[in-house]
Amino acid sequence: MGMGTFVNLTVNGLSTGMMIFLLASGLSLIFGLMGVLNFAHGSLFMLGGYTGVVVFAHSGSFILALVSAMLVGLLVGWVVERLTVRRVYGNAIAQILVTTGVMIVLNELVKAVFGPDIIATPVPPLLAGSWAIGSVILIKYRLFTLAVGLVVAVAVHLLLTKTRLGMVVRAGVENPEMVQALGINIRQVFSLVFAFGAALAALGGVMMAPAVGAVNPDMGLQNQMLAFIVVVIGGMGSFLGSALGSILVGLAGAYTAWFLPEASLAVNVLLMAVVLLLRPNGLFGMGGE
Amino acid sequence: MRAEWPGPSGWRGLLGRPGHYGWQEAKGLSLASGLPWLVVLILAALPLLISSYAVFNLMDQILILGVFAMSYDILLGYTGIVSFGHVLFFGTGAYTVAIILKHTGPGLGFLLLAVFGTVLISLVISLVIGYLSLRVKDVYYAMITLAFAELFAIIAEKWRAVTNGSDGFSFSIPHFLEDPTLFYYLILVFAVLTVILVRRFIHSPTGRVLLSIRENEKRAEFLGYNVIRFKLISTLVAGVVAGLAGIAWALQQAFVSTGVMATDKTIDALLMTTIGGTGTLYGAFIGSGLTNFASDRLSSLAEHYPLLQRWHLIFGLLYILIVLFFPGGILGFFRGKRWGRGHGAAERGYRRVKGERADGPVNGGGKD
Repeated sequence: MGMGTFVNLTVNGLSTGMMIFLLASGLSLIFGLMGVLNFAHGSLFMLGGYTGVVVFAHSGSFILALVSAMLVGLLVGWVVERLTVRRVYGNAIAQILVTTGVMIVLNELVKAVFGPDIIATPVPPLLAGSWAIGSVILIKYRLFTLAVGLVVAVAVHLLLTKTRLGMVVRAGVENPEMVQALGINIRQVFSLVFAFGAALAALGGVMMAPAVGAVNPDMGLQNQMLAFIVVVIGGMGSFLGSALGSILVGLAGAYTAWFLPEASLAVNVLLMAVVLLLRPNGLFGMGGE
Repeated sequence: MRAEWPGPSGWRGLLGRPGHYGWQEAKGLSLASGLPWLVVLILAALPLLISSYAVFNLMDQILILGVFAMSYDILLGYTGIVSFGHVLFFGTGAYTVAIILKHTGPGLGFLLLAVFGTVLISLVISLVIGYLSLRVKDVYYAMITLAFAELFAIIAEKWRAVTNGSDGFSFSIPHFLEDPTLFYYLILVFAVLTVILVRRFIHSPTGRVLLSIRENEKRAEFLGYNVIRFKLISTLVAGVVAGLAGIAWALQQAFVSTGVMATDKTIDALLMTTIGGTGTLYGAFIGSGLTNFASDRLSSLAEHYPLLQRWHLIFGLLYILIVLFFPGGILGFFRGKRWGRGHGAAERGYRRVKGERADGPVNGGGKD
């Protein structure tokens, strides 16, 4: 393997990792802050992808596609939290069951509106193509993904650690009654967090669609698995852990796809199983159970 | 109410005498015990009334998927764990019988070999997976089982030499199974036998400990029960029953493809169990009957009304409503009405999902 191949694989792995991070970030946020594992996350991701495709086809603006998908994610997430998730806080089993139901409903709705077949998604012209530097080929869209992923990671991290909103959210997780008593409507804050996580999922969907080249109604469940894996590997409650877990999974996927293509699908699952068994709280997880 | 101690249980308790442990549920069930037999009688009389291939086909599928959903109920309704990988046992059973019959020919002996092989493989797989994944709880368990199921689906997809990937392969079933009426009766007997055996398991001392784990895992642990070992037993039994359902499914279709390993099937089992009623066993069959009948009817209507092709949407909404407001499902709802609330596992499951104390006062300490 030459140096060029190695650099190519690493860049591809990093950008895939960032893509996975984009789709896992919302899941990680909701799971880490509220302890709710959202099984409908993949559906919100898919919904984002479809919104992006439709808006891009009609307007030709990728920026508009990104923004409108996030708005749809925000709105649907807010409604989902209000109608279902809110009723089952503190009950892990009921959360799994009810969000699975939301997943079924959203998937079927998308199939009813757009049909069960795939819809081809072009890369926006400005981001199409690649640069070649010697034997290293840099695909523009992958670099764009890398940049967006980094921005989201830093922005959310700062939001959580440096702002008043982040402080309220973290305090609300520790002691909701106390935060409520201090005059903050903690239920509203939780709705907001959930909606924001859903918007991040939708963003991941729009970003993923051109990279894969198509959207389809099953893309949610397929990618949700990856998001789960990185959240578990990164550790519950650790947003940066999810980012590092994503990069780990992205790189592992890229290298095994080169050396051992047959195993590339299984390697993520094995990675998660190993991490979960050796360190049930993930690589960067906090505290006990 | 006699409050006997469940006595020695665990592996040995599997064969303990059922029904003598002073649970109120036994009372509720004895009232209802005539009803399931009546249903079996009607089902047995069905071929005398109708001899349409389509009806047999639908009834076979309802019963087989009902058994599969019932095996899921052992986990969800009676042990209180959510597995997203249950389909891998179903798929393993289906592939085992299909591969054996394809390579050996349609003999009864080979079929029995396949059944034996499936039981053995299911036991080994659930032991290994259970040992690895039962150490984590709730969402982590759901995810790791999903990951294992994904792994099996990948193997079924990639090992084309044996499985022919997503295209699948057909095989010939033993000749006597080709008669639809006889096949239907065999499936009916299969369903009745598994219900009896699973019921026996649920009411055994071991099954009682499982219920106590579902109600309050910490308390069961403090009482000295090895919680992980009991959960392991639960996944073993559920895995074997699911494997058997997979065999029946493959025989019914005379064909297997990666569809038998699809996570959709686990979600269907979850849907059927929840709609019919978790922690009831029979609920799985009600859920299976309802969803499969509806899917059959609605997809034929869908030629004229395309929106009906998305009949899953209706069940998804129904399912959410049931999880949020009637966690006892259809059966739990009617049981609650007829025999008073607080009787039966469905009601306790209902409270557990609502986050109330399972042994707390009924209806806030009001009536009953």
